[in-house]
Parts: sequence; C-alpha cells; structure tokens
Amino acid sequence: MNQMNSIFRLEGVSRQYGDVAALDGINFEASNNEYISLLGPSGSGKTSLLRVIAGFEKPDSGRVWFEGRDITDVPAHERGIGFVFQNFALFPHLTVFENVAFGLRNGIKEVPQDEITSRVFEAIEMVGLAGLEDRGTEQISGGQKQRVALARTLVMQPRLVLLDEPLGALDANLRDRMQTELRAIREKLDVTFLHVTGSETEALAMGDTVAVLDAGKVIQSGNSSEIYDAPASPDVALFLNRFNLFDGVATGTTFRGPFGQVATPVVRKASRDVYAIRYDRVQVFNMGDAIPGPALDARYVASEYLGSSIMYFFEAADGKTVEAEHHLSFGDPQDYKVGQHYVLSWDPAQAIVFGQEGAE
Amino acid sequence: MSDTTAPKGKLKSATPWLIAPGVVWMILFLVAPIVMIIYVSFWTQSTFSIDSTLTLASWKNFFSSEAYVGALWTTIRLWLIVLFLTFIIGYPAALFVGLLVKSKTVSTVLLVLCVIPFWTSFLIRVLAWRPMLGKEGAINIILMKAGIIAQPIEVLLFSELSVVIGMTQIYVVFMVGPIAFMLGRIDRNIIEAARDLGAGFGRIFWKIILPLSMPGVVVGAIFVSVMVLGEFATSGALSGRKVNLLGNIIVTQVGSLKWAMASVVGVILTVLLGIVVAGFLRIVDLKREL
Repeated sequence: MNQMNSIFRLEGVSRQYGDVAALDGINFEASNNEYISLLGPSGSGKTSLLRVIAGFEKPDSGRVWFEGRDITDVPAHERGIGFVFQNFALFPHLTVFENVAFGLRNGIKEVPQDEITSRVFEAIEMVGLAGLEDRGTEQISGGQKQRVALARTLVMQPRLVLLDEPLGALDANLRDRMQTELRAIREKLDVTFLHVTGSETEALAMGDTVAVLDAGKVIQSGNSSEIYDAPASPDVALFLNRFNLFDGVATGTTFRGPFGQVATPVVRKASRDVYAIRYDRVQVFNMGDAIPGPALDARYVASEYLGSSIMYFFEAADGKTVEAEHHLSFGDPQDYKVGQHYVLSWDPAQAIVFGQEGAE
Repeated sequence: MSDTTAPKGKLKSATPWLIAPGVVWMILFLVAPIVMIIYVSFWTQSTFSIDSTLTLASWKNFFSSEAYVGALWTTIRLWLIVLFLTFIIGYPAALFVGLLVKSKTVSTVLLVLCVIPFWTSFLIRVLAWRPMLGKEGAINIILMKAGIIAQPIEVLLFSELSVVIGMTQIYVVFMVGPIAFMLGRIDRNIIEAARDLGAGFGRIFWKIILPLSMPGVVVGAIFVSVMVLGEFATSGALSGRKVNLLGNIIVTQVGSLKWAMASVVGVILTVLLGIVVAGFLRIVDLKREL
C-alpha cells in the first residue's frame, strides 16, 4: 500500500477506559476508495476505534492521519469524516429533508440555498427515498431511517465514511438488501467505507479488505479470501465462526488431539496449540468404516437446514460441539440418528494448525 | 367468543367507576368553587354585609380603580421578569445537570441538591431573605466591609427588587427540573451526529438542543407562571407592602370581608392563568412528549 493511495492511517493508537485498554496500540492503514469491514466481537474496541477516528474521543497516545494530515487534535466537526450511527441518530424534530440538509446548513462551509436543495434531493434520490422528503422521522420505517442516516452523511461528500454496525438494527431480509446497496452506493461515490460489524458473514461479504479486531488490536487484515482461507491466529478462526477448533499438542510435524495423532505439514506460529478444520471440510462416516485420516468419535445431536447447505451438529467425547456442513449441491442430505455415534474425518491437508513452535 | 369478550365488557362497564371519585372530587373542590366565585363576584357588597342581588358594581369598581388595575399590571410585569430570570438562570444550570454531566448519578445528586431549599418551609425561605437583603443585612455588611460601598444599599429590601430576588430564588428550581429532565432524554448520538456533520457547539445548541428541550421549558414556564401569578406571600414579606399583586389584593379583601371584590380579582386571576397556560401549550405539542 503506497502513501499516495492511503486515505487514513492509525499509528499506535491507544485508548484506555479505567483499567481496560479498549484500543491497544493500533496500527492500521486504509487505502483510498475501498470497502473496509472491521470485524470484532463485542468488547473488542471496534466502536472505540471508530469514535477515535471520527474525533468524538481522543486517543491516550498515538496519532490519527487522514488524507496525509495529522488530525489527532482536530475537533470532530472540522474533520470532514462521515459517521453513520447504529441507532441512526436522526434529528427527531426535523423532517427527512431537513435531516439531510442539516450538515449543509450548519456546517463550516457556507452553502447557497439552491445548492442545498439540489444536493439534498440528489442524496435522497440516491438512497431511494424520493417522495418522502417531508415526512417526520417517526413516520418512516427502520430501513428508511437507515437510508436517511446514510444520505445525511453522504450529502456532505466525505472522503471517508465510518459505519458503526449500520445493519445491526435491521431485520435479516433488509440487511441483505442493504449490504448490496451499501456496496453499490460506495462504488458510485468513490469514497472509503469503514464498516464495523460483529457479524463474520457481513464482514466477509462486504469488505474489499477485512480487518479483524480483538482485545484492542488488529490481529489480521487482508481480503476476504485471505482471511477465510488463512486465518492468522486461532482467535481469527474462532471469530470467523466457520472452523471447528481443537486443543491439543503440536510438535513440529504432528498434532495430537481428540481425533488421534495427525501429521501436519505446516504449523503456524501462535500463542497456543490449536487445530482448525472448516465446517464444510468435515465428513461423516459410520462406525466401523475404514478411515484414512484423523478419526473423531462423536454423537449426532441435531441438524440445521440452511437452504443451500445443511449443518450437522455432533458432540465429541469431551462434550465439545463439532459442526459438519454439507452442501446440498454435493448430494442429498443424510439421515443421521440422534444419539448414535459416528466418526468424523477430514483431509489433514485442509486443516490449519497453530502451534507455539510453528513458523512465523 | 363470549368467554373472551366478557372480561372486556366488564372492564368497559367498570371504566366510569374508575374516574368517578376523581370527577366527584373535582366537582366539589374545583368546579363548584369556581362557579361560586364567579357568582359571588356579581353580588352586592355593602360595608358590613353582602347579599345576592346581582350587580356589576364590583367589576366596575375594579376596572375604574387605579390601584386595582395597577396591581394587575404589576402582577404581569413581575411575572414576566421572574419568568425571564428563572429561564436565564435555570437553563444553563439544567444544561449542566442534564446534558454536560456525563454520570447519571452525579446529575441525580445535583438535582437533589437543587431541591434542598425545599426541606424548609416556604415562609422561612422567604423570610430568610430579610437578614440577607436588609439595610444591616449580610449583603450590605459584606459589601461595606469590602469597601465596595460606603452606604448600605437600601433598595435591596422592601422593594420590587427584593420581591423579584425572592421569587426567582424560590421558583428557579421548577424551571431547572423539567428542562434537565428533557435534556437528559436527548440521545447523545444525535449531538455527536450533528458535530460529525460539521456543526459547532453554538449551531448544535440552537438547532438541536434548544428545540428538543422546548417541552421542558414549557412545562417549567407553566409551573413558574402558575405559582408566580398567584403569589402573595413573597411580596407580602419582602416588599414592605409597596408591591401589591393580585394575590395580595385578594388577601386584603378577604381580610376585610369584601367577598365580592375578592371574587372579582379571583376570576381575573383565573382567566389570566388560563390564557397563559393555553398560550404555553400552543408553543409545544406536549401530547407528543408524554
């Protein structure tokens, strides 16, 4: 990532609340004109990070750079960074039109009246709310409020828009539609979106770049497939919610876990020994079948139909739940008996192994 | 079906009984007295007695007397001054308590501190201003000791000023409370959103905070107005009989058994209050806030 193309950069940004470090020396650089999703479990500091970038909070240490300028000490209203709140935070006493016009009317730059009118109509049109200009904020639905919040931010033509779990308050159906629309709107406007979410599917689906945040640190960033195929640590694998994780002992070339001892060609350096296998890599065998690789005895518990695939839930001897995903395009679902024992196996080459003695 | 509708039907027939005690109470102690006061204001008053022959004499008497009409204007003038002062002093305090203090605990403690003066009786609170404001009172002594003035300021006590000071001190908390409550309900994200859109503190205050706190201002203004317009004790205790409000006139008229004139003033005061409250309610649609 070269300097020219960078829209904002965080240098060792830390923020402490009492004894808790919400942000712990974050270094992050975002390139211009990109959709970045920031994935983190609740309490990982993702909202704090957005608030520091927006200027609502000051970092205890570290610098924030935006468009090549150090903005750490610039007040929020002079930064020109858009912020879309999770609860929309519309002005309840103003109409849709006036909500969108607020920044143009009250911002730092004086904007002539007819330009305000045309830009507001344009923004409302873009988010698909034409005709609702005179409605009050109580007279529109949740999805429409979300669009007003977006239009209100975009009408200011910011170079960077921060979205704090923007889809969190919407129902699933609407969420899917807004995902597509958010991406489309961003592409049209050539701005950078930094989208914070706790949902791994949302993060992977939306981000050109996905950054994973945990305990106040960015623990991995890259494009969706990099993150998905090669999580950098057991924690990332855990957040992605697509992997069965087993504790065990990794030596240089093998891993001993509940499924026996398995050869491991590559071991990645991590703080603990963990064996990760994706849900859809797990295969189910009957007891007594000849198993070439690892074999894990597990009791079948339940299944969950997901449309294009079906998820089987098993319980291993140590009580841990193991999930196996079966894509329906690979054949009809199997009927497993609840309570009966089966053997789970997989191709060891597809596993991702973390070990304290692994390679960097 | 009959099973599901029965309780509903019962509830419906019970509804009038639920409001009956309130209605009876209001008729006995509010409607009947008001009707009676209006009626009595048209009675014929002679020096020592009153009879129910209807006449406009007391009404004519009120509007032709400079003292009475003067009292009406004094009441309105003092009300406006006190209303203005309680707002000017109360709003910043409410802004601090309700919005700028981040901790809910601290803001509750501050609100409780505001009502501490109410732990003592109304009369004590009013009379306590005498040793404060008097010619040899605390303020004059301090100012003289500090060498700021050579002579005691006499206008401090037994003047319109002392009445204004006394009333403002007593009633300002009724302005602070409702405003602080409304400000406390404003979503902090809204203010941050306004900042993010480029608005400085001044713009945010005028365009967001003040409009959103208007219901609190209106409720506070109604509280203060209702109490100030009916006042007689503060002016009685702190004005040295120099300031006569409508309330004071009622007290003296009743004291000298002039029931008809007392009723006239009572009716005028009630009408005035009605206009003021209705006027405030027009500013903000309180129904939306409840």
